[in-house]
Amino acid sequence: MIEVKNVNKSFDGKQVLFDISANLLEGHANLIIGQSGSGKTVLMKSVAGIHRIDSGEILYDGRNISQMKSNELNLLRREIGMLFQGSALFDSLTVKDNVMFPLRMFSNKSEEEMEERARFCLERVDLLRALDLYPSEISGGMQKRAAIARAIVLNPKYLFCDEPNSGLDPKTSLLIDRLILEITHEYNITTIINTHDMNSVMEIGENIVFISKGHKSWQGNNTEIYDTGNEDLENLIFASDLYKKIKKAHQMGI
Amino acid sequence: MFGKQYVRELHKQGINSLPIVCIISVFIGAVICIQMRINTESPFLPSQLTGYATRETMILEFSSAILCLILAGKVGSNIASEIGTMRITEQIDALDIMGVNSANYLILPKILAFVTMIPCLVTFSITTGLLGGFGVALFTEMITPMEYEQGIQYSFLPYSIQYSIEKSLVFAFIVTSIASYYGYTVKGGAREVGKASTNAVVNSSVIILLFDVMLTKLLLS
Repeated sequence: MIEVKNVNKSFDGKQVLFDISANLLEGHANLIIGQSGSGKTVLMKSVAGIHRIDSGEILYDGRNISQMKSNELNLLRREIGMLFQGSALFDSLTVKDNVMFPLRMFSNKSEEEMEERARFCLERVDLLRALDLYPSEISGGMQKRAAIARAIVLNPKYLFCDEPNSGLDPKTSLLIDRLILEITHEYNITTIINTHDMNSVMEIGENIVFISKGHKSWQGNNTEIYDTGNEDLENLIFASDLYKKIKKAHQMGI
Repeated sequence: MFGKQYVRELHKQGINSLPIVCIISVFIGAVICIQMRINTESPFLPSQLTGYATRETMILEFSSAILCLILAGKVGSNIASEIGTMRITEQIDALDIMGVNSANYLILPKILAFVTMIPCLVTFSITTGLLGGFGVALFTEMITPMEYEQGIQYSFLPYSIQYSIEKSLVFAFIVTSIASYYGYTVKGGAREVGKASTNAVVNSSVIILLFDVMLTKLLLS
């Protein structure tokens, strides 16, 4: 579990996060949602240790990362997998080499063992056929799946996903969402997903943290989200006619 | 992994630069030879002077300083744009989040590889430049091959080669470190990557010229 306690963060004197506290649950998909510019990416990057926070605590199973030295932080980072918005695959390496990269850097396995592990992860995301292709030769959805395979190759305890569905069609988005959720449950990972895709919220939102203007405005799950009474959240989630109809149907018990 | 990166960079920055170094050096060697011959055509000056001047120009200035200015364009812009693109596409963030020291992994092999390869490129440039001048002697009637050969052997100081290589080692470090700095610190998008690449070339060229003056004063006087 990751505990976020009273976190404040500012850039060049401009405060972006205000006293945020939240629990991110182990073995669940934890979603950070909010409008563009609300501070959700800053929160996720702060939790991941990419940004140093100004004050507060971030505890990874009791270990406070804001007090860690850089070598301790580097060790912790080996327990973290991250899926970036643009996949961030190394474009000079093939899909297989991208997945094997963390193993080559941090494991003592033989080349055969590393290849076996990479194949296993790529099979898990149904991407064995793209083994020897370069990132530029595969589709956006396949790039996301390759990035997921790279993120889980070292058996991480924590998985961060920054807008995993951006730039994908609804069907592929659903596929990626379900894949992330399956992996989260299968390996008991604490998964943190930063998104503003409402389909994802409804599909995999087991623990949702809503950020509004840098403040935590609401926390709950995808069944509780229909009746929050939070105006900002409702304006975000039920902005479209489709979701207004879904909410109405839910309230009528359909 | 570091070793592999280093070998890849040796190939990319060194071997891949050979064609451009060869083409430029041959033609500049030929042009220097022609111009020297035209400008020193006098009954009071020996015709061997053409070969001598071509050799001195190639060794002392062209194959170290001018070659590094040219390579600042090729290698420097390549490094700045490659690292800059990795920055804006979050590939560097991906390395950092994995716990990899991204600067060490990306920049150090580039600097070491270019510093390793530059003596080879300088030697290759001197050789091909002198061959360019020899081509002029061979295919024109401006100077005989014998006179050119005598000229390039006349009063040769091996220290000139050492001086040229020492200068180029400093220039190679300047080109790669400045380009890496501009690439690594890019913020924004494609426009900023282009800007970083231009800044890397312009600034490394200016610093090479400054160091060229300082090193010449230090090493030759």
